[in-house]
Amino acid sequence: MTAVLNNSIVQRLLRVPPAYYVFTILLITLWVYRPAMLNPNVLGVFVRQNAPLGVLVLGQLIVMRVKSIDLSGGGIILLVNYFISSGLFPDASLAFFAAIALGTGTAIGLFNGLMIGKRHASAVIVTLAVSIMLVGLVQFLSSGKPPGDVPSFLNDMYDTKLGVVPTPVIFWAFLTLIVAGLLSFTVFGRFVDSVGESAEAAHFSGVPVERTVVLAHTIAGFIAGLAALVQTASIAVGSVRVGLDLPILSVAATILGGVVFGRGEGGVWGPFFGVLSFTFLFVVMTAFGVSDPGKLIAQGAIILLAAIFYGVRLARSR
Amino acid sequence: MPNLVELSHISKSFGGSLAVDHVSLELFGGSVHALMGENGAGKSTLMKVLAGVYQPDEGEIFKNGHKVSFANPREALEFGISTVFQEMTLLPNLTIAENMYLGREPLTAFGSIDYRKMNSDTQAALSELGLSLPPQTLVSGLSIAERQFVEIAHGVKADASIFVLDEPTAALNAADVEVLNKHIRRLRDAGKAIVYISHRMEEIFNICDTVTVLKDGKLVGTRPLSEMTPSSLVAMMVGRELRDLFPSRGQGTNGLLLDVKHFKIGASTKPFSLQVHGGEIVGLAGLEGQGQQKFLRSLIGQFQPFSGTVAIKGKALPLPVNPAWGVRRLRSMGVAFVPEDRKEEGLFLGLPIAHNIAIGLHSARSELAIAKNYRQLIADSIKSLNVRTTGPQAHAGSLSGGNQQKVLLGRYLAEGVDILLVEEPTRGVDVGAKSEIYKLLRDFAAKGGAVIVLSRETVELIGLCDRILVVHGNTVVSEMAGASAAEQDILNAALNAEAVVEQE
Amino acid sequence: MNRGLLRLLTGGYGRQGLWLAPLIVTLLLAGFLTVRTPDFLRTENLLNVVAQVLPIMITAIGQTFVVIAGGLDLSVGSLISFTTAVLAMDGPGYILIPAAFAFAVLVGLTNGLVVTRFNVHPIIATLAMQYILLGAVRLLRPVAGGTLPDIVLESVNGAPFGIPMALIWAVVAIATAWKLLYGTRFGLHLFAIGGGTASGNEQAARNFGVSDKRTMVLAYVISSCFAALAGVYLAGRISSGDPNVGLGFELDAITAVAIGGTQLSGGIGSLPGTVIGALVLALLSNGMNLTNISPFIQTAIKGAILMAVVGLQSRKKMGL
Repeated sequence: MTAVLNNSIVQRLLRVPPAYYVFTILLITLWVYRPAMLNPNVLGVFVRQNAPLGVLVLGQLIVMRVKSIDLSGGGIILLVNYFISSGLFPDASLAFFAAIALGTGTAIGLFNGLMIGKRHASAVIVTLAVSIMLVGLVQFLSSGKPPGDVPSFLNDMYDTKLGVVPTPVIFWAFLTLIVAGLLSFTVFGRFVDSVGESAEAAHFSGVPVERTVVLAHTIAGFIAGLAALVQTASIAVGSVRVGLDLPILSVAATILGGVVFGRGEGGVWGPFFGVLSFTFLFVVMTAFGVSDPGKLIAQGAIILLAAIFYGVRLARSR
Repeated sequence: MPNLVELSHISKSFGGSLAVDHVSLELFGGSVHALMGENGAGKSTLMKVLAGVYQPDEGEIFKNGHKVSFANPREALEFGISTVFQEMTLLPNLTIAENMYLGREPLTAFGSIDYRKMNSDTQAALSELGLSLPPQTLVSGLSIAERQFVEIAHGVKADASIFVLDEPTAALNAADVEVLNKHIRRLRDAGKAIVYISHRMEEIFNICDTVTVLKDGKLVGTRPLSEMTPSSLVAMMVGRELRDLFPSRGQGTNGLLLDVKHFKIGASTKPFSLQVHGGEIVGLAGLEGQGQQKFLRSLIGQFQPFSGTVAIKGKALPLPVNPAWGVRRLRSMGVAFVPEDRKEEGLFLGLPIAHNIAIGLHSARSELAIAKNYRQLIADSIKSLNVRTTGPQAHAGSLSGGNQQKVLLGRYLAEGVDILLVEEPTRGVDVGAKSEIYKLLRDFAAKGGAVIVLSRETVELIGLCDRILVVHGNTVVSEMAGASAAEQDILNAALNAEAVVEQE
Repeated sequence: MNRGLLRLLTGGYGRQGLWLAPLIVTLLLAGFLTVRTPDFLRTENLLNVVAQVLPIMITAIGQTFVVIAGGLDLSVGSLISFTTAVLAMDGPGYILIPAAFAFAVLVGLTNGLVVTRFNVHPIIATLAMQYILLGAVRLLRPVAGGTLPDIVLESVNGAPFGIPMALIWAVVAIATAWKLLYGTRFGLHLFAIGGGTASGNEQAARNFGVSDKRTMVLAYVISSCFAALAGVYLAGRISSGDPNVGLGFELDAITAVAIGGTQLSGGIGSLPGTVIGALVLALLSNGMNLTNISPFIQTAIKGAILMAVVGLQSRKKMGL
């Protein structure tokens, strides 16, 4: 066992995020058994459905890289959805809604960041509490009833395509590119690497540790605002439940993509393929007639295996 | 007389570097055995093997002639080996009694923990050591000295026959040291074997019978202390080539770079002043935990000094410094702080050497700035530091201790600052790397920089520094020139100051 | 404000953490409800509060064991649903009840082993388990239904000697947990492990000879078993197996634990704190029902209380 693990090729293979393996296996499975499903239009629809998750993952991976977590994305999506669909702002423009979504997300992200970075409060509890408060607030404002319709221009945009690729998917990929650039080319990216590896060493290197954590959460909040826009556009009507499972799913996709608390080998594209893997898992299982519960089990098993894969590697590298 | 414990040809390595290399050691009942050597000589590693913290790669341990092995410290304790480590091993959220009995708690007839027995026995063990702490006190509420005594009481309570005390007096004041010595003598008279690790010569000659010296993981020799003198012991520890390790001293100084006036670390400590000029290396010497580190770390805000003024290149540093911003604040004024613990506070072991060096430069810039790659600078650094590595992308964790220390120093040298505050520049570093590090520091000074060095190794300070300030009781008690200072003078200065404090 | 008082309020003393502030909140809530509505103090209503709080309280008690040792168990919600589904499988109680608990032990063992042996972060390991169990329960029972063994119904809804079963359940659950946490070596070892983890020295407890991995696994098993217990109780109350009944329970349980002053970094916390935390949640929802305040604001208040509690505690290190 040890000999096998010490082999340099095995070592290198172990360093590839599990998402790439899962994605490749699923793609080959489809190609061999259900080639008809590999139609860009069909796949586009499936991938588009996961665009909100994909966007949210971008924020999640940044905070997980600094050893934190953000469970408040669901609350942010719900609140933004309420603002847009409740008719509070009739005849408002896209720019107005975008400003509201991003403003809300950023403010909440900043609050999370201050509580976690400055107060050193537990990240799980803070973001969970924020989410609970936001859900409660929306329930209170809407008295538990779904609010009205989403302005049609949002949904129309959601349905557009650029060639065969749906616009939301392009938006998601573009955003991923930006976050990848942020993390690999800016000083902030270096700070994130440092804080994730060792907050103590980062402090003595002159890295503003607290500010990095606050900023990471603020960016995650901003990105959650974007995810809320995409999610709202996708469902056309208001809801008091939309997006609540997304934060947990985003944690799962991030892990599958090779980013675990503080360690970022998976980069930004690992989690991107993590989300794609979830999508394709769904497609493959549907193609094979696996029921929804079966999909949940498979999803859980894949997360578990990916995590064990990392755990074993980590234990080895110590 | 048969030995109580024998360590036979023990070897232990970490990631390729051999920390202990075929060392044998015999311990006898009724004897206090000093274990000496520079930091990183392998003393602590050897004792951790004896205590069951590490498993030896090679070699065997015999207790009363029988071969034994321990998977963890608990098992070692069952074999009668009790260890008080340098770093705190007590659990802060448990009471004294719970810590004393953790892992072997007495039970009542109903299977509950017998707190009554635990507390009363702990009380008894503590009062035997002259401590009047309530056993229900949480360890987090104890002072460092009190924690040390609790650890010793732990061994006494477990009825151990071998006690390993790894720098037990590091954090103790003179009165506490006296209490401790009394107990060590009592344990000795009761036929126990005691291993005593300390850097304080005075104590070694006071209390120990035999001394074993380690150097670079190897056994130098074991001698009765009656045959030794402090200077012959030092010679044994550092070897004869000591003088060759150090670069020649500085050629005079230029402008005043760091000016500290009327600095009071605590409300009731004596104020002191110190000046450091460009071109000189100033050492802070003294017994462990006498305020050297507190002074340096109050400059980065880790401690809040009581009063005083600090001027860096003529500009005032407002005190107290905000702990979250201290390192950055100093950096912006041209001062770099090199922390002592390179594994925890210093390096990013899982990240490339390149990152470890460049992060100091990155951190002086705005978050949203584009990160420069500093490729040339990193390559030059690795070259001038003489880091032995496969390349800048190798992880810092893959390097040997000496090369790690050079990388750490390289980070701060690359920042282009004028003043270096260095804690323990050569902790756990082999002789070759030590010499290179001394040269790097001297070169920095020769280019007009000022260096303050804090070290537990007096010999190092004497060899390296232009001036040595002896710190005791949170204040500077004496100053001497490095060229003419002797280890004994420094120790005397500290101990005399102690005597004065006692009289007051 | 007086420093000592502030420390007491924020749990600066002892390893029980912050418990006084939540207790005051509980008393204030109870006081407010007593004044606002005469119905609150009626025995019937108080029993109702107990019955309402019980499942969350039991789950949270189990969670407390894991959290004190520095872990977290997110799989309990799905396990609760799964337990109700197993009990509603139309079989005899003497088979189904042991089967449900055996399964819970299996889940706890898996969680514990994955966390301790494979170095997987507890959030990740138990999150994956949550998905797997959610899938499994929906396979087993896609929609609510089925009949339960009589013994389950009786043990939940009966009232021997006029004592309502809910009260008995509460007493038994708390007493069992009390014995485990405060009356055994195991309990002390949980604090030791958590204290080591929180202070950054994960080896600390092991160096004292505490078998930390085994203790940790046992903590997860206990959490699972308490979740199964909550599942049995819930099944009895709704008289069916329901794949969705446990949704969100893990978050409610963690909320109760955190309100009770137990710190997620481990080593600091208490059982009474958790009970108080669960009571706060129950009084909130009961109070909203009794008074004419919109029931929809109670979720927001719950979140606000949680935030206030976590904001009061200050920790040295950042972290999850």
